[in-house]
Amino acid sequence: MLSYVLDRLKSSILVLFVVSIITFFVLMIIPGNPAQLILGTDATPEAIAELSSAMGLDKPLYQRYLSWLLDLFKLDMGKSYVYGESVTTLIGRSIPVTFSISIFAMAMAVFIAFLFGMLSAIKKNSIIDYFSRSLMQLGTAIPSFWIGMVLIVYFGVRLKVLPVSGFVPIDRGFADFMKSIFLPSLVLAIGEVGTLLRIVRSSMLDSLKQDYMDMARVKGLSAGTIYIKYALRGALTAPLTIIGMQLAKLAGGTTVVETIFALPGLGRLVLTAVEHRDIVLLQGLVMFITSTVVIVTLIVDILVMFLNPRIKSFHRGE
Amino acid sequence: MNNPVELKNLHIKAGNNTLVNNVSLTVKEGEIFGLVGESGSGKTLTAKAIIDLLPEGLTYTADKIITAGKDMLTASDEEKRDHIGKKIGYIPQNTVFYLHPLIKIKNQIGDGYIQHMHKTKKEALEKAEVLLSKVGFKSPKTVLNYYPWQLSGGMRQRCNIAMALMNDPKLIIADEPTTALDTTVQKQVMELFKSINEEMKLSILLISHDLGLVKRYSHSLGVMYAGQIVESGCTETVFNEPGHPYTRLLIKIIPSLKMKKNEPLTEIPGFVKDKDRDSKGCLFYCRCPKAMDICKEGVKEHTDDTGDHYYRCNLE
Repeated sequence: MLSYVLDRLKSSILVLFVVSIITFFVLMIIPGNPAQLILGTDATPEAIAELSSAMGLDKPLYQRYLSWLLDLFKLDMGKSYVYGESVTTLIGRSIPVTFSISIFAMAMAVFIAFLFGMLSAIKKNSIIDYFSRSLMQLGTAIPSFWIGMVLIVYFGVRLKVLPVSGFVPIDRGFADFMKSIFLPSLVLAIGEVGTLLRIVRSSMLDSLKQDYMDMARVKGLSAGTIYIKYALRGALTAPLTIIGMQLAKLAGGTTVVETIFALPGLGRLVLTAVEHRDIVLLQGLVMFITSTVVIVTLIVDILVMFLNPRIKSFHRGE
Repeated sequence: MNNPVELKNLHIKAGNNTLVNNVSLTVKEGEIFGLVGESGSGKTLTAKAIIDLLPEGLTYTADKIITAGKDMLTASDEEKRDHIGKKIGYIPQNTVFYLHPLIKIKNQIGDGYIQHMHKTKKEALEKAEVLLSKVGFKSPKTVLNYYPWQLSGGMRQRCNIAMALMNDPKLIIADEPTTALDTTVQKQVMELFKSINEEMKLSILLISHDLGLVKRYSHSLGVMYAGQIVESGCTETVFNEPGHPYTRLLIKIIPSLKMKKNEPLTEIPGFVKDKDRDSKGCLFYCRCPKAMDICKEGVKEHTDDTGDHYYRCNLE
């Protein structure tokens, strides 16, 4: 088991290393001198040259990459010229926003998807199954910016029960925090629930057809045991993998929703960095988001291994 | 007189296609009843109807289904499940996927016992250990900690048998329990059934396509052909005085050790009919060496004086 984890860890580190190379060099070949961007078009060539050497831009690329990589290990990702603050601080400030809406959104999506996915598989072709299937279609088809707008107009403007925009940190009151993240999370959840519901339903349908279900029925077990211990247990692997992918996707950027609800999260930071060609900030963000995705995937893989012990022994070559 | 299984006039249909036609059988207390027939003759479906496990899409009608003392035709779904779980042990045909692959043996072998007998998990595991050693495991504790995929086919089948015995059932339904096993293990398993049957006075409905096996281990038997029971009765009587030409042919083709080298195995030409199983004529007509014209129109049913030996044929 440990060897499996170590193996996965090794490949994760390799992925991060490759990403760091691509991130650094691709952003470096984009035309435009960062020093020029910072100083503006009126700057004298001397000033630009001075700033370039102060920023280390006159050194060869590989040297700049190495020093950037070393700083990365010290969690120093440089200074954003748009904000004038260190990239680490900026990211650190955005994490609570993006992570709370993504985690809350996934919690909602998982709850709804499992509840309706299981019920609709157990009661196939019933009203609840038709309802779930419409939910799948709607969730996948409705664009999130539109549903976001509708929710803002209804709950924020007309009913005035939830704030229209902005983020309240959790230390300023849990109720206000939940109110500020509820609508954005709901919009994200609607976007993810369709896919997850589909996977839960089809995995459950498959599991219900297995021979072990006959055995569970013939043993006269209660419905709870039959459906949760036997059927759901056999249907967890695929949904869990999808949840991991969705969580990684959300944690890495919820730009549209953050923009609609004016939330100061990672997605907005990415947008600003791209708009202003803030290369230092962009490099930091790409590295951070990739690491998040890699770590979440790693955790999910380890969880899946615990749920499906056969992976362990395949790995050992049994 | 409390027979573990009483089945009268069972019909199973898939849409308009009849699969099992007019099957009646009785398993008496303490006996091993062998149900034999070729693949597709409806043995497994008949057994599944007794324990309310027919696959989706099949419908059945019957005049009487009494399983371990309960009328299955009037009971609610809940009552049926509960009763079957308590009183009947089921040993499936294909052992590979009947144990949940992701749950350790110890977490699935006892859950029926815990629920129906209101026991703790500890008591269930103690009982499971006793039964696992009874079915031939030398270290039952280790087996309990395994996942099913860590066991071989024979070991899994023995786990299934132990699991079926957990609630001290009145009846065991064993659907080709030895198909996946090699002959030595097969013998062990069958001897185990025999001893359980003798010691615990347990009735067994043994489904098999192996007539030799049924001859050796069962007290009574029923021969199924194309969804009908064509002959039934005490094993000895049926083997000594087979009434139906199909039974005679089956007995003739049991391979024996006296066979000469290179002697070809005899076979019955043709296949089991899978359509028009509800016709009035004899379903064995096309393959029967003694077929007569009247066999197309109808079949005579014979029952001997004791009411035990039954067969359906136009031959006297």
